[in-house]
Amino acid sequence: MSPPSSVAHQKLKHHVHHECLRAFKTAIPLIISFIPFGMMLGAQAKIKDMSWLELVLMCGINFAGGSEFVAIGLWQQTPPLLLIVCMTLLVNCRHILMGVTMIPICRRQPVRKMLLSFFLLCDETWALSLQDSYRRMEEGYREPFSYPHYITIAVSFYITWIITALLGIIIGPMLGDLTQYGFDMAFPAVFIVLLRGMWNGWRRGIPWIGSLFVACAVHLLIPGQWYVIAGAITGLLIVLCLPPSFFEVDHA
Amino acid sequence: MHDSLINHHAFLTILCMGLVTYLTRISGYLLLRNKNYPRLIRVLEILPGCVMISLVAPIFVTGKLSDFIAAILTILTAMRFSFLVTLIVGIGSAGILRHFLPMVLH
Repeated sequence: MSPPSSVAHQKLKHHVHHECLRAFKTAIPLIISFIPFGMMLGAQAKIKDMSWLELVLMCGINFAGGSEFVAIGLWQQTPPLLLIVCMTLLVNCRHILMGVTMIPICRRQPVRKMLLSFFLLCDETWALSLQDSYRRMEEGYREPFSYPHYITIAVSFYITWIITALLGIIIGPMLGDLTQYGFDMAFPAVFIVLLRGMWNGWRRGIPWIGSLFVACAVHLLIPGQWYVIAGAITGLLIVLCLPPSFFEVDHA
Repeated sequence: MHDSLINHHAFLTILCMGLVTYLTRISGYLLLRNKNYPRLIRVLEILPGCVMISLVAPIFVTGKLSDFIAAILTILTAMRFSFLVTLIVGIGSAGILRHFLPMVLH
C-alpha cells in the first residue's frame, strides 16, 4: 500500500473509531432502559416453559420487543403459529412508518447496505439515528446518515437484548417485579428526551399533541397495541389537513 | 419432545415471526424510496414525533396517580437537563411514588 492511501486509511479508521465511541456514549441510557424489559421478557418466557434456546432464537431472529411479549403471552407447547405471526405483524406495523422516515436521511446510501442494516432497526435505534442525522444535517454534513454510528447503536442493543432476556429466564423469577422500582419508566423517559430534542415550536407540536390524546384514548378503550398506529395516523391526518405553510419554521 | 430445547413447530413459528418483522422493517423504505412528493417531505418531518409520542402515551393513562406524576416530573426534567439525569429522575420518581402513593385514579 502506498503511503498516501495508508494515511487516508488511518484517518478513516480513526473516524470510524470516533463514531463508534460517540454512538456508544449516546446509547448508554437506552442500554440501561433495555435491562428491565429484557429481564421481564425472560421471566415471562420461564413462566411459559420456553427453553432458553427458543428465547434466544426469538430475540435474535425477530428482535422486536413488543411482538415478543405478545408472542410469549400466546406461547404454548405447540405455539399457535398463524395467530402469533398475525399479532407480530400488527404490533410491528409501526416499523413501516419508521422505514419511511429514514428515506430522506439515507438517500445516498446503497440500497443493499440499508436493507441489511434494517434487520437491526428497532424503536430506539431508529430514534437515536434520526436524532443524530437531523443534527448532522443542521451542522451541514453532506451525508446525514452515519453508518458506523447506526451499527454501533444497533449491535449494542441487539447484544443487550439477548443477554438481558437470558438473565431474565435464569434469575428473573428470583428478582420479582422490577416495575415496583420504577424501571419501566426508563422507556418513556428516553423517548421524552428525544422528543424534546425534536421539538420545533408549537405549530409543529400540534400533530404531536393530537397523536398523544388519541393514543391515550385508544390505549384506554382498545386492548393491544393499536394505540401506536391510531396515534401516528391521527398525527398524519392533522399534517395532511393543515396547509403546508402552517408548519413553516423560521431558521433565523 | 419435552426434554429437547426446541421443536420444529416452535422453530418455524419463530422463523415466521422474524420474517414478518423484517418485511415491516424494509417495506416502507422499499416502496417509497424513489418517490418524491413535496407533501411527503413535510409529513416525514413531523411524523417521527407522532410515532414517538404515541409509543409513550400509555404511561399517562395507567390509572395510577404515581405514574402520572412521575411522567410529568420526567417531562419537566427533560426540558432542562441531560439524558442521564432525566433517566434517573424518571426511574427514581416512579419507584418512590409507587411505593408511597399506591393510589388508583379509576
